Amino acid sequence: MSRSSARRDLTRRGLLLLPVVAFLTAFFIVPLIQVLMLSISDPDWGVENYTYLFSDSFFLGALGSTFLTALSVTVACLLLGYPLAYVVARSEGSFAASALLLVGLSLWISFLVRTYAWMVILGNRGPVLAAMRALGIEGGELLFTRFASSLGMVHALLPLMVMTLFSVMKKIDPSYERAARGLGATPWAAFCKVFLPLSAPAVINGCTLVFITCLGFYVMPVLLGGPSEQMIAGLIGQQIEELLNFGEAAAMSVVLLAASLTVYAIYSRLFGLDRLWGESR
Amino acid sequence: MTWLKSFAVLIVAFIAAPLFIVLPMSFSNSPSFEFPPPSFGWTYYQAYFNDVRWTEPTLNSLMIGAGTSVLTMLLVVPASFALTRGRFKGRSALNLLMILPLTVPHIVVALGYYYYFGALGLVQTRLGVVLAHTCLSVPVAYLIVSAALKGFDRNLELAAQNLGASPLKSFFLVTFPVLRPGFLAAALFSFVHSFDEAVVAIFISGSATSTLPRKMFDSLRMQADPVISVVSALILVVMTLAVLIPWLMRRRLAAR
Repeated sequence: MSRSSARRDLTRRGLLLLPVVAFLTAFFIVPLIQVLMLSISDPDWGVENYTYLFSDSFFLGALGSTFLTALSVTVACLLLGYPLAYVVARSEGSFAASALLLVGLSLWISFLVRTYAWMVILGNRGPVLAAMRALGIEGGELLFTRFASSLGMVHALLPLMVMTLFSVMKKIDPSYERAARGLGATPWAAFCKVFLPLSAPAVINGCTLVFITCLGFYVMPVLLGGPSEQMIAGLIGQQIEELLNFGEAAAMSVVLLAASLTVYAIYSRLFGLDRLWGESR
Repeated sequence: MTWLKSFAVLIVAFIAAPLFIVLPMSFSNSPSFEFPPPSFGWTYYQAYFNDVRWTEPTLNSLMIGAGTSVLTMLLVVPASFALTRGRFKGRSALNLLMILPLTVPHIVVALGYYYYFGALGLVQTRLGVVLAHTCLSVPVAYLIVSAALKGFDRNLELAAQNLGASPLKSFFLVTFPVLRPGFLAAALFSFVHSFDEAVVAIFISGSATSTLPRKMFDSLRMQADPVISVVSALILVVMTLAVLIPWLMRRRLAAR
C-alpha cells in the first residue's frame, strides 16, 4: 500500500471514530473522573471519606450483605435457570417455543413493572398472605424485607441467565450424549461427563453477568427491600437525595465500581472480555 | 425427563407471574393494591389518560427514547465500520471504550451526571437525559451492529464498486439494505433501553421533565397511586406486541 493511501485510510478511520470517542469522553469519562475527584475532595482534600467508610461498621455490613445477596441471587438464578434452559434446548415442540418466547419477552419488560407486580403479590392485601391466612399461618410482613428484594432480583435476572445458558446449550450436539450412552454411560453419567462440561462456559458467563448486575442493583432493593437493610446502591442514592453528602456518596461509588471492575478483570484475565456478551446475543 | 419438564413449567410460571397480576389489576376499581381486585372497571384507564402528571412523563420518555435512538445510531454506525474493518493500533483500546458504559453500575453514573450536569445546567432537561442515555446505549448498539457487520460479505460491496458505483452509492444501494435488520434491532434496542432506564433518570430528570420510569418509581415509593397498574399494563401489552408480532411473522414465513 502506498504511503498516501495509508494516510487516507487513517484520516477516514479518524473521521468515523472521532464523534463517538469525543462524545463518550465528554459525557461518560469526564463525569466518572468527577466522581473519583469528588471522593477525595469533598468536603476536604484527602482520603478521609475512605478511612471513614472503612471504619464505619454500618457501611461494612452493607457491603458484606450486598456481596452475600448478589451471591445468593446468582446461585438461585443458576439453580432455576439451568434446568429450564436444558429442557428448552433439548426438547422440540410448542412448550420449548413458547417458554423461549416468554423468557425472551420478559427480558424486555421494565424492572418497574415487575417491581409493581411483586408489590401486589407480596403485599398485605395480596394473594400470598391471603393464602397463608387461609391455611392458618399468621405470618408477618413479606414486603420490605430482604426476602422480597432477593425474590424480585431473582425474577429480574433469571431471563438473562436462561438466555445466556440457552444460547450455548442449543449448540451442543445431542449425538455426543447419545455416543456416551451407546458406550454404556447411564443418562446421568452422560449428562455429568459430556453435557455439563460443554455448558460450563455459559454457566460462568451467566453467573458473572447476574452477579455484577446484582452488585449495583438500585430499583428493586430500594422499593422491595427494608429500609434498614439496604444494599450499596441504595445507600449511595440516600447519600445523594437525602443527605446531600456527595463526598461520601462518591467514595461509596468508587468502592462499588472497583468491586465490579475487579470481577470483570478476573473474567477478562481468565477468558477474555469479548466472550462475555458475545454469546448471549 | 417428565419431572424435569414439570419443574421447567413451574419456572416458566414464575417468570410469567407478573402478566397474570398486572393485567387484572389494571381493571381494578379499588384504590388499594388488593388482589384479586374487589371490583372491575375502566376507572384508572380514564384517570391515566386525563392526568397530565402521567401523560407528560409518557411523552417525555417517548421523545427522550427517540432522541437517544437517533443519536446512538449516528455515533455507533460509523464507529462500527471503522472498528470491524481493518486492524490498526489502538483498536482494542477503542473497543474497550465502546463497551465501558456497560461495565459501570448505573448508580455510579447517576452520581456523576447529577454533579457534572448540575455544573453544565443540564440537570432537569430532556437533552441531559438524552446525552446520558446515549452513553448507556452505545455498548449494546455497538455489539449488535458490529455482529451484523462481521457477517456481511464485503464482496457484494466490491462488486458494486467494480460496476461503477461510488463508495457512498454502494453503501446506500448494497451495504445498508443488507444490514438493515441489524441496524433496526440496534435502534429499537436503544429506544427501549432509554424508555426503561430508571436510575439515571431518577437522579437527573427532575420533576418538570420527569420520565415515565421516574414517575413510576416515585409512585411506587409512595404506594399511593393506583394508576401505576394501568401504566404497567400498557407497557406490558405494547412490549408483548412488539416482541410477538415479528415472532409470528417469522413463524409464518418459516411455515410457508
